[in-house]
Amino acid sequence: MTAIEPLSAPREVLGPRGLIGDGPPIPIEQAEPRIRRDPGFPVVWLIAPATLWLIAFLFLPLLGIVIFSFWKASGHGLTPAFTLENYQNFFAVEGFFDPQHENFLTPSIFVRTLWTTFRFTVTVMAICLLLAYPLAYFLAMQVESFKWQLTLFLLVMVPFWTSYLIRAVAWLPMLGRHGLLNEFLVSTGIVEEPVSFLLYSEFSYTMALVQLYVVLAVGPIFFSLAKIDRALLEAARDMGATSFQIFREIILPLSMPGVAIGMIFVFVLLMGEFATAVVVYGGKTSTTGTIILNYYGIANYPFAAVNAIMLMLAMMIGVVVILRLVDIRKEL
Amino acid sequence: MAQTPSGQYLRRGLSRRKFVKTTAAGIAAGVAATAFPRVPRAAGGLRTIGLGVSIINEIQAQASKDLGFPVAGQALGYGDMFSKMLNQNDQYEIGEGYFNDLRVMQPAKVWQPIDTKRIKEWDRISDLTKTGKLTPEASEGQGDAPFRLIYIDEHGDRVKGPSRYITMVPAFHNADSIGYNPKATKRPIESWAELFSPDFKGRVALLNVPQIGTMDAALGVEALGLRKFGDKGNMTKDEIDFLVSFLIKKKKEGHFRAFWENFGQSVNLMVNGEVALESMWSPAVTAIRAEGVPCVYAFPKEGMRGWHGGMAISAKVSGATLDQAYEYINWWLAGWAPAFVARQGYYHSIPDNVKKYLEPEEWDYWYLGKPAAKDLPDPFGTIIIKKGEVREGGSYWARYSKIAVWNSLMDENNYLEKRWSEFLSA
Repeated sequence: MTAIEPLSAPREVLGPRGLIGDGPPIPIEQAEPRIRRDPGFPVVWLIAPATLWLIAFLFLPLLGIVIFSFWKASGHGLTPAFTLENYQNFFAVEGFFDPQHENFLTPSIFVRTLWTTFRFTVTVMAICLLLAYPLAYFLAMQVESFKWQLTLFLLVMVPFWTSYLIRAVAWLPMLGRHGLLNEFLVSTGIVEEPVSFLLYSEFSYTMALVQLYVVLAVGPIFFSLAKIDRALLEAARDMGATSFQIFREIILPLSMPGVAIGMIFVFVLLMGEFATAVVVYGGKTSTTGTIILNYYGIANYPFAAVNAIMLMLAMMIGVVVILRLVDIRKEL
Repeated sequence: MAQTPSGQYLRRGLSRRKFVKTTAAGIAAGVAATAFPRVPRAAGGLRTIGLGVSIINEIQAQASKDLGFPVAGQALGYGDMFSKMLNQNDQYEIGEGYFNDLRVMQPAKVWQPIDTKRIKEWDRISDLTKTGKLTPEASEGQGDAPFRLIYIDEHGDRVKGPSRYITMVPAFHNADSIGYNPKATKRPIESWAELFSPDFKGRVALLNVPQIGTMDAALGVEALGLRKFGDKGNMTKDEIDFLVSFLIKKKKEGHFRAFWENFGQSVNLMVNGEVALESMWSPAVTAIRAEGVPCVYAFPKEGMRGWHGGMAISAKVSGATLDQAYEYINWWLAGWAPAFVARQGYYHSIPDNVKKYLEPEEWDYWYLGKPAAKDLPDPFGTIIIKKGEVREGGSYWARYSKIAVWNSLMDENNYLEKRWSEFLSA
């Protein structure tokens, strides 16, 4: 963090990096020489609580999950062992390599569930981004007064003031067979009979998830847009750039870190989803989250652990891909 | 399920606790956080956990008053209750659990053998849980009928037939079937086969608990004459495959509106007009009627699906606390509490004790299946039964002479769970 960095690369001309609201780029002549500082005693204490917390409540549990995934389920708990059986159960399909078999080259239900979880996550994440970006753009770029910016941003956050479950359940009276939307459709004569696809369907599931998670994308995008130096935009305009050019060449690249962070938030949380499907999809699908919960429920902890590990791997791959698409460090 | 020597159990017990402790933050912090709320230990009192069926503030308050020591209740959802009973038996003294979980709890030895000699009214407890026959002509029912699991030796290992020690003192129980809105079905529902009737396509909900949901489905499949199951409470892989293929076919046709997981959802589905009929737990009927929506509980000709709850004592309890645990159980059996829950439709293993605490009109309605002679209240005093209404399924004794199958835990539980996931994903 405090190591001396070579000043030769042009990008480094920007000088010391700071928090949101960096000052204008400092010309190379004025850049203060960077000094290697000894982190010293107090720094250790600053990071100690977080480190201990992470070790105790993140690293050790993760390690536990990995270890227990190799243990044997006893029907009422688990016995120490080293077995690959749980992983085999995750992947293995009878007749997978047999061209005559109906299961030929069909992935196991657990692999398929992980895949549908992933596919659905990506879809919802994409919708979230498409909705969140214009919203954040409006807040950050179009609303001039800071007071209004903050007020509107807080309004966007209002749904977060209620519990997650209530936000999901609130869709029921809206989309149900005798819900508001159906009553509207029937009374205006658009449909004759109430339609049933609105609720307990992929439609309602997607709607609810987008509504639940879109705010998580708005926040980071808003912040990264808000910290773009207006002088840059003015300069570009002075030099004859069109609005579209300004957006493409300046605003979009500079807001990419926010987009990436928003994507990571939404992605990770969606991958672990299990409750919304029950409420608005009528439990008519299963996610890897529900599978973990179900096997936990029947005390098959090792198999729940295997699913948790696979889910975690999928999440890590997704996060790595997102970070590949956007180099957050570079963009910040 | 194999029994294990106690030495091995100890090691396993420790690792299990450690597992739960360490995964609590890991797998799903949210779930874990709600799964393990702590109840402060009441000094010199009891902590009892269970479902909302038997853990109700009024009951534990009355117990504290009558017994002279505090009894703190914690009502949990089924999954949380199951996990806590299995993994944290130092966090409760009394487990108000269910006989269909004994296949897990017994070999785990999380509960101690209960000495029937210390159960004052043991001899008065009905034969339903002792021999499986409430009346001489009753059928025992398939699956984990309580009498098949209740008896153990002094070490907690299951034995066949009557013995001095038991795992759980029988208490509250009931039988489930299908609830329906007669206005929507336009005909009385008298068979489990109706769950799959094309007439109700898109307006049927099933219980999304594979262990129980499959049995409801199997009753329907059997009633349709598609297949006979050897033991619906303990199906073979082949039987599970057959059933799941059938369910997947039905699901793809759009037959099911939803799969519900908790009581509230089942109530909402019918109140909101989403379904015409669904597998249902009996108290849902009164809850739905309370919302002004007509609802009838079917008494299928194939018989109902029975379940039985009871009182277990944690293996960690000893000394004076153990005496209190027995006192609480004896107090429960004596009738005040079972009479309280009788007004929600639950039955008790010593019916005569309930009679003492019910008004004659209540007894006639809830236990004898007679028309209500006057308006009757629920446990909290709200009138839920109008004069003249009749409880479906007749008297307690008629209902329990025809239990088709008991809530069970199958040997192929893991396979069932897997195939059920496939059904939901289809």
